[in-house]
Amino acid sequence: MQNSDKDTPVAVVEAKNLVKTYPKPGSKTEFFNAVDGVSLQIEAGEVYGILGPNGAGKTTTLEMLEGLTDIDFGDAYINGLNVNTNPFEVKKIIGVQLQANEYFDNLSLQELLRLFGELYGRRIDALELLGRVNLTEKADAKPANLSGGQKQRFSIACALVNDPIVLFLDEPTTGLDPQAKRSLWNLVRELNSSGMTIVLTTHNMEEAETLCRRITIMDHGKVIASDTPAMLIQQHAPEPPERPRHGSLEDVFLALTGHGLRE
Amino acid sequence: MQTRPPNMILSLASVFMKIFLRDRQAIFFSLFFPIIFMLVFGLLNSDEAEPIKIGIANNSSSDISEQFIQMLSNNPLFAVNVGDEVTLRERLVEGDVTMVLVVPEFFEATESGSELTVLVDAAQVQQLGLVMPVLDQVLLGIERQLRNTQPMFSLTLVDVKARSQRYLDFLIPGLLAFTLMQVAIAGSGFNIVEYRRKGILKRLFVTPVRPRDFISGIVLSRMVLCLMQLSVLLAVAVLVLDVAIVGSYLSLFGVIILGCFIFLCLGFMLGSLAKTQQSIMALGNLVIFPQIFLSGVFYPVSSLPAFIQPIASVLPLTFVTNALRDIANDGVSMLGTGWDLLGIIVWLLIAFVAATRLFVWKEVAA
Repeated sequence: MQNSDKDTPVAVVEAKNLVKTYPKPGSKTEFFNAVDGVSLQIEAGEVYGILGPNGAGKTTTLEMLEGLTDIDFGDAYINGLNVNTNPFEVKKIIGVQLQANEYFDNLSLQELLRLFGELYGRRIDALELLGRVNLTEKADAKPANLSGGQKQRFSIACALVNDPIVLFLDEPTTGLDPQAKRSLWNLVRELNSSGMTIVLTTHNMEEAETLCRRITIMDHGKVIASDTPAMLIQQHAPEPPERPRHGSLEDVFLALTGHGLRE
Repeated sequence: MQTRPPNMILSLASVFMKIFLRDRQAIFFSLFFPIIFMLVFGLLNSDEAEPIKIGIANNSSSDISEQFIQMLSNNPLFAVNVGDEVTLRERLVEGDVTMVLVVPEFFEATESGSELTVLVDAAQVQQLGLVMPVLDQVLLGIERQLRNTQPMFSLTLVDVKARSQRYLDFLIPGLLAFTLMQVAIAGSGFNIVEYRRKGILKRLFVTPVRPRDFISGIVLSRMVLCLMQLSVLLAVAVLVLDVAIVGSYLSLFGVIILGCFIFLCLGFMLGSLAKTQQSIMALGNLVIFPQIFLSGVFYPVSSLPAFIQPIASVLPLTFVTNALRDIANDGVSMLGTGWDLLGIIVWLLIAFVAATRLFVWKEVAA
């Protein structure tokens, strides 16, 4: 909408030096930066992955971009709109899938989708939307009766009611079986092929490697690497001696964030 | 400004209505206990007020003492047992009789006067206030007869009430107020905590819905549901138990709507303060329980210990109970409830301000 061509490529999501401070667990006087100066440039039409061990600040970063958590320092823009000063306008053009995906009891999928439509002041075709996420036959089911994969696809359907410019997915495939995971990847590709920008967090390196055009790796609230998967592999994967380059993104991830087990 | 259809609140309310109405279990239990209460009291107190059992130990053999006993026996307020003092004392201790009158051996019309002794059991003196004036009256009657004087003033009692008041008639407005409080606090406060726990508030917060639209939607639907629930209770009371609603239903529902609003707001306030299911239960009970006992639901506030009455009389449920009772029992109009209506309005403002201050979308959703 407000994209100008003064900058190329066009950043549809722009984060400048984001900081989020929380009190340390069990302490009221000590603080730490859950997100510590994160800058991101996410281009229109790309699938962008944010990777990092648990507690690296991925979800907090997403929540700041979505207007869900206050930005303590720095600026975030979605499609040129300042998230801090224009949260309601931003919310109208983004779609969000959160890690928790519970909904009101007693409402069927199509009733819930219509409700979400109402929240954006829209009347939507719930069945068409359910068709897009392959849940047509579950239109009258309750969310409680869905499988894990179906729940995630339904969450994405809820995030699509406003035809968002940017879709945020927080660990969309965590806990899914391989079939459900692949079906969700296909859904993400389909949505992206229609021009939607998608920002996702994941622990799944294969997912990042196959879905994302570019990725950012975070640790301890900071960005430690950002590039295309291929470039990251080239730069960071340990080079085996006297053999053609090999290694996977998982090697990169472990090399960058260490092998220590995280909470 | 965001453009939104004017029916946003209405459509949200209709969705919440659907959600609440489908929760059959909650609706069943919200009505079950009040109806049981009503039926139990309706069956227990189906008769007219029972006469007070008094024992009379007549140590005198005078005509006057006979006359005195005769007059008391004729009074429908009393069921008189005549016996000897020792037996009657025992029966008093056992609770068979409420009090024992001891007529002294010398019970004559003399200038010096005769003294009656009234034995009571401290455990059941609540009726004393009712009995003593009647005794006085009876004695005065005898005195006048003996002295052959005419009373200077006489009372003629004309009953303007369509029927006599039973305990059930007294109880029903209290029970309506009590149910209203429970349903409203549970409906807003408990729901909010539940939605937070499930992450639904957070999910709603990333949509552009305005908090006031969301809250208005819940309040409106809860209000309608509450009116439906109370209508069922009223219908049972009026149609099954033959309870009289003397005043207008319009006034009655006017107060119900205001009361419902108070407790919905208080519920939102509690729901914003409580972070877990356990803490909302504790907070809810803290607000609900004292009011059940102090707000005149089951017995009038005036029968509470004097030191607690000032507190009891300013509780929100007390105002609502009093106003409903004035309308239902005495046929007062909504405006005629005066101070109670003022109390309701003051509480409404307090609750509304507290709820809107405390229900901060961002914090409550987190």
